[in-house]
Amino acid sequence: MQKKEFPRHLNSLAGLYEFTEEIMKAHDLPDGVRFPAHLAMEELFVNMVHYNPTVTTGIEVGIDVADRVTVSLVDNGGVEFDVTAKRDVDVDSSLEERKPGGLGIHLIQNLVDSLEYQYQDGRGEVIFTKGSGNEDV
Amino acid sequence: MFEIEYGDGGTVMCRGRLDAAQCEKAEAFMGKLDGENTLDFADLEYISSAGLGILLKTQKRLAANSAGLKIINVNNHIFDVFRYSGFHAIFDIEAKE
Repeated sequence: MQKKEFPRHLNSLAGLYEFTEEIMKAHDLPDGVRFPAHLAMEELFVNMVHYNPTVTTGIEVGIDVADRVTVSLVDNGGVEFDVTAKRDVDVDSSLEERKPGGLGIHLIQNLVDSLEYQYQDGRGEVIFTKGSGNEDV
Repeated sequence: MFEIEYGDGGTVMCRGRLDAAQCEKAEAFMGKLDGENTLDFADLEYISSAGLGILLKTQKRLAANSAGLKIINVNNHIFDVFRYSGFHAIFDIEAKE
């Protein structure tokens, strides 16, 4: 697994994209895998940034491509935030009833093939996989 | 990189990747929209939930004055994100051919 640590800031998103896009493109992964993988990475990274505003350590991102792409994000010093927990997101409500926000975890849970979360002694790790076949988002 | 500007006929052209780091630029532009508007996503490669939030916020504001956003030339990946988010029911969306 290739790993890189990124500063805990939204400005890191461009570097995160470049780091993982280069690796996935080198393995000829189709858009139908790269798009949801990038989306899941961003949503997870942004959650770690937003929910831990006082933490100064970086966020470590790892990526491995074999029969599928496996991505891990490690957050040292952050609060516990189980991204695998089901959340009530009403995507069928009317425009008047809808409120911005809350879609990130919902999208991750729908777009990746597997999603795991571990938290111990202030260290949170999320691992997700996405198949490398010809499936679309 | 994300760019947003008026194109021919007043259509709003969106290009690049609308991620959480680019939302300030998108929100500054969309916050000034008034009336009926068409967003052309032909060159928009990517959008995350942060961008969806700006679209929703703009749509709610415009709808209060009986107006709204039409989004055209949406690629299949973004279209699926819209579908998972239920946006296909609250926006006028046309997929890219």
